[in-house]
Order: sequence, then structure tokens, then C-alpha cells
Amino acid sequence: MENLYCTIFIVDISQNPEEVDTVSSRIQQLIEDHGGIIKRVNPWGKQKLAYPIQNRNYAFYVEIEFTANSHLNIPNIIEQEFRINDRVLRYLTYVVTKKELQQREINAARMKQKVVKTDEEEDKTPPAEDKNDSEQVDSGAGLIKETELMAPDANGDGSPETEEEKGEGKEKAEDVVEEKIEEEQEEVSEDKKE
Amino acid sequence: MREKNTKIRKKRISRLGEQGIVFIDFRDTKLLVRYLSEQGKIIPMRTSGNTVQQQRQLSQAIKRARHLALLPYISDIQR
Repeated sequence: MENLYCTIFIVDISQNPEEVDTVSSRIQQLIEDHGGIIKRVNPWGKQKLAYPIQNRNYAFYVEIEFTANSHLNIPNIIEQEFRINDRVLRYLTYVVTKKELQQREINAARMKQKVVKTDEEEDKTPPAEDKNDSEQVDSGAGLIKETELMAPDANGDGSPETEEEKGEGKEKAEDVVEEKIEEEQEEVSEDKKE
Repeated sequence: MREKNTKIRKKRISRLGEQGIVFIDFRDTKLLVRYLSEQGKIIPMRTSGNTVQQQRQLSQAIKRARHLALLPYISDIQR
């Protein structure tokens, strides 16, 4: 069966920052040699660890996505490489499910909507509101094209900028939801008292 | 005893479903942190109000995030 795999590994860069390139290129070579196809390489960059690993507080995260047939057993081959290499602090390889892909599409669509909306809000100066609907639609279409051009970077889930933007949007949405829930709970509690 | 059993617990309504989240990604630590206690434990579904499916996904995501040092196994107890 053809699977989409995602592998994430943490490289120690305290001694030699170039270690990241050597490790990631070696892994990519291994994947390609054994019949996998690399879809996406996404370096997250240097990040702070939630807890120290081998007395290191910072390390470099790299994410690689590739497709391969399951009987090629590529995850095992990569794991052997990870185990041997001292510089790799942690690694994780998993099969990307349909649900995750679905979620990514939803997120991408939301991002697009958000970009368009924010741009429209900026454009909405008093005279702009009096314009015809057709013109606004045109401007919206132009914006969509722009966002599509931005898409390759914006769709990368791991890139810090996009994550931050998503997070902010979610928080806003959740605040509204929270308020609603609180109201509902109050109503419910009142009913109980009665 | 009966009174205790019949008491209806305040159950928080799950926020995950309302947001339209199909898959809980372990990379999204901002979301996961909300389902951790101060000590870094996973909050049970009886308090979070998640469904079984959501809770399974969540626990898997949190465990993956912990392994990759995105989330702590134990966070400091504030006192």
C-alpha cells in the first residue's frame, strides 16, 4: 500500500550548526535510494525544548514528508540511521491519515478566507463602501490570486509565522465560544435551582 | 446515596467540535496546552467534555508532542 509518511527529528546543533544539513540530506538520500519520493522538507528552525535532553535546551527541528510503499519498510531503515547518529536527539515517523489531510485543507481554506477578509477590512475606507458590489468582487478575486501565490509557504504547517496567525484566529473564535458556553451554563444552573 | 447519584455534574461542553476540528495535530501546542493540568497531566474527558474519539486523538497528540519535547512530561508545580 502506498502511504504518506511524515518524519520529524531533532538535531543537536550546539557543537556544529552544519550538522542539520548533513543529517537531513543523508535521510533524504536514504529515502530516495530505497524507493521513496520526498514531497516536502520543512525545517522548523532552532526551538526551545520543553525539557532538557542531554543537557541541551535548544535544538533544531526538521520535518520531512515522503510517500512510499509500505513493504519497502522505509520507516525502519530511517530509524536505524537515527539510532546510530548521536546528534539526533529525538525522532518520530508516522503515517499521515486522511483526517489529517482533511484538516490541512480546512486550515488552508481558513487561512485564505482570513487573508481576504483582513485585506477587505483595510480597503474599507468610507468612499469604498459606496462602490458597486461587482467591483468589490473583482478586488476579492485579485486578493485570492495573491494569496495563492503566497500559498506554497503559507501552507507549510510547521512554519512559525503561519502557526502564530492560526493560533491568534483560533483564540478569538474560542473567546466567543467561551462566552456563549458561560451564558448557557448560567442558564442551566438557574434552571436547576428552580 | 441516591441523591449523590442523581446529582448532575457540570460538564463543560467540548470546544473541539464547535471549532470544526477534524484532526488534532500534535504540532498545535497552543491547543494542546488547554487540555493539560498545571502539572502537565492530561485532563480527563469527564471535565473537558470531549467525546471518546476526540479524547483518543488528543491523548495521542499530547504523547507525540511530549516525545518531541514540544510539551513537558512534568511542568513545575507553582507554589
